[in-house]
Amino acid sequence: MSKRKMYFHMIITSLIRRRSRMVVALLAIAIGAAILSGLVTIYYDVPRQMGAQFRNYGANMIFTPTSDTFTLEDMEQGLSQISTGELVGATPYRYETVRIHEQPIMAAGTHMEDAKKTSPYWLVEGEWPQATHEILLGNNVAENLRLKTGDVITVSFTPEEKNEDDTDNMIDFTVTGTVSTGGSEEDYVYMELTDLEELTGTGGSVDLAEISISAASEQLTSYMEKINENTPAVSARLVKRVTASETTVLSKLQALVLLVTVIVLALTMICVATTMTAVVTERRKEIGLRKALGASDGSIIKEFMGEGMMLGGLGGIIGAFVGFAFAQTVSVHVFSSSISFRPLLVPVTIIVSIAITAIACLMPIRSATTVDPALVLKGE
Amino acid sequence: MFARMIRGTLFHQWKKMIMIAFTIALGASLATAMLSVVLDVGDKVNQELKTYGANITVVPKEASVLNNLYEVEGGENVGTYLREDELGKIKTIFWAFNIVDFAPFINAQATLDDGSTVSVVGSWFNHHMDLPTGEQLDAGMSSLRSWWEIKDGKWIDEQTTEKEEVAMIGSALAEKLGVAAGDTVHITGTASDVNLEIVGVFEAGGIEDDQIFAPLNTAQALDNLDGKIDSIEVSALTTPDNELAQRAAKDPKSLTIAQYETWYCTAYVSSICYQIQEVITDSVASAVRQVADSEGAILEKTQLLMLLITILSLVGSALGICNLVTASVMERSGEIGLMKAIGAQNGAVTGLVLSEISITAIIGGAFGFLAGFGFAQIIGHTVFGSAITMRLMVIPIVAVLVILVTLAGSIPAIRMLLRLQPAEVLHGR
Repeated sequence: MSKRKMYFHMIITSLIRRRSRMVVALLAIAIGAAILSGLVTIYYDVPRQMGAQFRNYGANMIFTPTSDTFTLEDMEQGLSQISTGELVGATPYRYETVRIHEQPIMAAGTHMEDAKKTSPYWLVEGEWPQATHEILLGNNVAENLRLKTGDVITVSFTPEEKNEDDTDNMIDFTVTGTVSTGGSEEDYVYMELTDLEELTGTGGSVDLAEISISAASEQLTSYMEKINENTPAVSARLVKRVTASETTVLSKLQALVLLVTVIVLALTMICVATTMTAVVTERRKEIGLRKALGASDGSIIKEFMGEGMMLGGLGGIIGAFVGFAFAQTVSVHVFSSSISFRPLLVPVTIIVSIAITAIACLMPIRSATTVDPALVLKGE
Repeated sequence: MFARMIRGTLFHQWKKMIMIAFTIALGASLATAMLSVVLDVGDKVNQELKTYGANITVVPKEASVLNNLYEVEGGENVGTYLREDELGKIKTIFWAFNIVDFAPFINAQATLDDGSTVSVVGSWFNHHMDLPTGEQLDAGMSSLRSWWEIKDGKWIDEQTTEKEEVAMIGSALAEKLGVAAGDTVHITGTASDVNLEIVGVFEAGGIEDDQIFAPLNTAQALDNLDGKIDSIEVSALTTPDNELAQRAAKDPKSLTIAQYETWYCTAYVSSICYQIQEVITDSVASAVRQVADSEGAILEKTQLLMLLITILSLVGSALGICNLVTASVMERSGEIGLMKAIGAQNGAVTGLVLSEISITAIIGGAFGFLAGFGFAQIIGHTVFGSAITMRLMVIPIVAVLVILVTLAGSIPAIRMLLRLQPAEVLHGR
């Protein structure tokens, strides 16, 4: 049997013989490693996940026309400069004054599906419009005109170049619901852009577009500059209230998770180290016996360290995957979306666990080897 | 004799006992720190979310509809007003403690010297108030508009400057007029005219960039609207809405008396709105859904996230303590074998080992609790810049946790030891 083979044989049989004790140590290391890999994964994923939550505040970029209006093509051209992964939604708006029950009301033509994405905070009682000739009323408008869901109303529009004898354009709309926001939206009515174009008889242009982008503020600023440079018809602006506040709150949250991670990790690692120290300390007798049989300090340290590091590696591997499973559970429960696996974290977790077990074993082994074997064996 | 034996273990094997106490202290400090943070994180994050501005707006009952409809036709502001002298009452409602800040607003149209019209908004900046309850309060828009970027000059400080003829001007308007901080602009309202000294130039990223903001009294004087205000913005700490709150928001009368009381006495945004309406004459208070809704969502997610991290670290520290206790009890097999050989009953051995471990656990737990409280304060000060409130409920939770974990860690090991034959153990097998 070669020396190396003997070395591994000793380590492995030692691990197997002292099964129950080693399981305790392995468990401690695996828990430490799981907390390390789980928390670090969460820490890296929090900005992305929380950022998505912050999109509840709605649009953080606004396109306004540089001249009077801009077209949907201009908007598309502007949007093409934003990476698709970060774009949460983009909603065009066209505003026209229409008459309902002879009252002048501001009507907005938009894409309802996109509006749901850029304004997730709208509280719609009833349904969002889905078919043509359906309309969503602002809460104040509905109250003021005493309209409710299901009513059919005639919306009329007076074109600008109108001859004296022309009648107004009129279309009947079905009210599908009312929207309340606590803001000026409650004074508007909303319909599909195509319906508004049909009503006014003109089309192709919009007044404003709301864009919701899931990105940090520097990235937003660079998008804004790029769009302003490359799309002449559109002037992009950031909604300061949303972007500035998001940066403040998000950085605080990230700092919170970072600090918690650091403290939890530090304490867990100390816990792992004390457990390992306890496991090694109780083997002082064995160390004494070996020394008495003529083993050199170096070979004893090497063997015990080998055992410890093997445990560390095994615990690290188990912990890395358990930790990821934990992070995945957290992500699914809290943010209801899955987390991306970070391959780099697996070797890092394993290396850190090996290092910590090595450091934890080193101290008690060294103190055991410096003691006279006779004293150790005698039990003093 | 029992006490002497315990003392013997604690003093002669102090190194081992200190190690156990140390591990228990670490676990307990982790539990204390995480529990304190998780119990307080809701309030702290809520406070941070206040940077999004007001979550409740109060307008006169009839004005909201009238004003907007008239504006569509390009007419003058016609309508009713709220009363300035009632503002202090907002701090007297049931949830007064949750009202973080508020500011009144009055809009006036004024004419510049070149004939163009400009919108002048009167408000409080950092107004000092003595409340009827004897409390003092600083309220105003400087914290409700924290996202404003001051390009030049500074915020108006109402408490140090006696002068009322001051203003802050939007960056777009400032550029158009070619004025900077320190200059004066002359504006004429329907009732009077005034020379305003510009204190600051701000960029808000909205229509405010074309407006002038002045102290409330100055703007009121322009249109002879003394004591009247258009709207109030209120920033309140709220509890995320649930089904009850949504039903109550539609019609408080639809609730049973018990439900109504639960709703009224919970800081839902709808119940705070309702209470504001009760104290401000002829007003409609409504939640700004953009802010209120998102706050609820973010708050909930953060709390859940922290809760799960706390559970992970609690489980981690529990297993860690358990492990070490098991290991330390098991290595005493020789001693226990000896005790049994000289005739100790199982009960006596168990009692001895448990008492030793418990005393160690109590000492370790106490130190750990203090250390954990320290960690919580470090987190509070570093992240939120304020102390974490200590909740009394943390103490029993941590105590129960430490005791349970210690027992859970030692009992299986003791049971295993009791099953051993003394002869075998002493022989060293």
